[in-house]
Amino acid sequence: MKTKFWLTVVAASSVGLGALAHSGATGVVKQRMDAMDEMGEAMKRLTPLMRGQSDYDPDIVRNAADTMIGHAGAQMTELFPEGSNRKPSEALDVIWEDWEEFAALAEALRTSAEGMKLAAGNGLAGPGNMPGSGMIGTGQGMMGSGQTMMGGNQGMIGTGQGMMGGAPTQMMSTEMLAEMPVNAGFMAVTHTCSACHQKFRAEDN
Amino acid sequence: MSHFLRSLLFFGVLGIAGVAGLMAWPIGVEPPGTLEQLEGNVDRGAYLARASGCIACHSDFEAGGAPLAGGAPLATDFGTFYPPNLTTDADHGMGAWTISDFARAVRQGVSPEGDPYYPTFTYPFYAQFTNQDIADLWAAFQTVPAVAKPSPQHEASFPFDQRWGLKLWRAAYLSEPDTSPENGRSEAWNRGKWLARGAAHCGACHTDRNFAGARIATRIFAGNDSLPGGKRAPSILSSDLQAGGWDVDSLAYALRTGITPEGDVFGGSMAEVVNYGTAFLSDADLTAMATYIMDNVMSEN
Repeated sequence: MKTKFWLTVVAASSVGLGALAHSGATGVVKQRMDAMDEMGEAMKRLTPLMRGQSDYDPDIVRNAADTMIGHAGAQMTELFPEGSNRKPSEALDVIWEDWEEFAALAEALRTSAEGMKLAAGNGLAGPGNMPGSGMIGTGQGMMGSGQTMMGGNQGMIGTGQGMMGGAPTQMMSTEMLAEMPVNAGFMAVTHTCSACHQKFRAEDN
Repeated sequence: MSHFLRSLLFFGVLGIAGVAGLMAWPIGVEPPGTLEQLEGNVDRGAYLARASGCIACHSDFEAGGAPLAGGAPLATDFGTFYPPNLTTDADHGMGAWTISDFARAVRQGVSPEGDPYYPTFTYPFYAQFTNQDIADLWAAFQTVPAVAKPSPQHEASFPFDQRWGLKLWRAAYLSEPDTSPENGRSEAWNRGKWLARGAAHCGACHTDRNFAGARIATRIFAGNDSLPGGKRAPSILSSDLQAGGWDVDSLAYALRTGITPEGDVFGGSMAEVVNYGTAFLSDADLTAMATYIMDNVMSEN
């Protein structure tokens, strides 16, 4: 029983309070963990608004985008000096093996967040306009086009290029995002986070 | 001859006979001939392939690989395994297979040559696929462009490189997935159960495995600290998820986008699962999976 209690405590803290994992961090590790937390808070403010669960407010979007822009590119990479991944860091060695890709993703965070910021005034996409945006696009719609296995996979997804490997060159430019409904910028930001976490962050538990 | 040597010889012969018997032991029941007569629906099959993780595991997009031309290697305690080429290439993919070969591979984990597959292939979760599911998948796989890329040999360490040993593993551990609908549960819940316990095989990563690499029945969804490549999967027991701030809505949304209630975005293998799999599922199916995962009896184990 006691074991179960502690297991629950451990599981709950690991699933829920990511902040606990950051205790004991110092120096650049603490700085970048704090930066990630700030961006997480920005995502938390954006999500209900992007989902249409709260009233749309372009200033919230611009503000959140500024948070991300402030932590993107060189501001991000300078917090990852080589070998700086001792506990409690979740950074993987592959960051320094594939530094170019890591830096490119840090830069992609800037371009996608800038795109989202410029698109803040465009508002949200109406239902059906944004396959793959995560809000609407049902799977059937995506897979339905093209009668092939990979129907949803090869450029059919609209905003989804980032999903297919996340190479920043495939991602949409700031200018393109600026012309689109704000969801596109939000998804571009999300895909950048995802691509970087997929390759460069240890899976916490 | 001493008693000792005689017994050694006796057990030696018995052992050899046992192994020979195991090697010859046919596994996998040939599916009925009606499979060929079924008409597969490509869209439905492609959708099921997404839900089942075929594309996520058998493609190596990170390395610039073509869809389904072979996945990134899985480094396990038993060796390194390479998800093979599943394109229509006749030499390196499934181009020379029949639908019965395919059915046996997917539902029973047995190759066209009659060899058992390693359990890194999540076939145990697909055992309840209907003939129509198989026909749909098969139709979808026929649309995959052939890629002439050889599948590397698995690098299993001894004794795990002896495929006949897997027949013992099958006898000891292989069981049908529990995907059957339950009375008194909603349609969405039952659909979610079919997906989460079957096709989408959440338990492949989120369930602890024993020394033999078999999932522990009392630890379903309780998390796993020793996944291939030293990765980990957290508990997805409903009690733990609730404690972590998850609900049906946020879980369904995370399966679509990777965004968690904390404002984090999934990384590691879960990013692949979402980006190449669950992101393509319908809202109804994602809600169904979340409905089941947030409300089941696994936490009581």
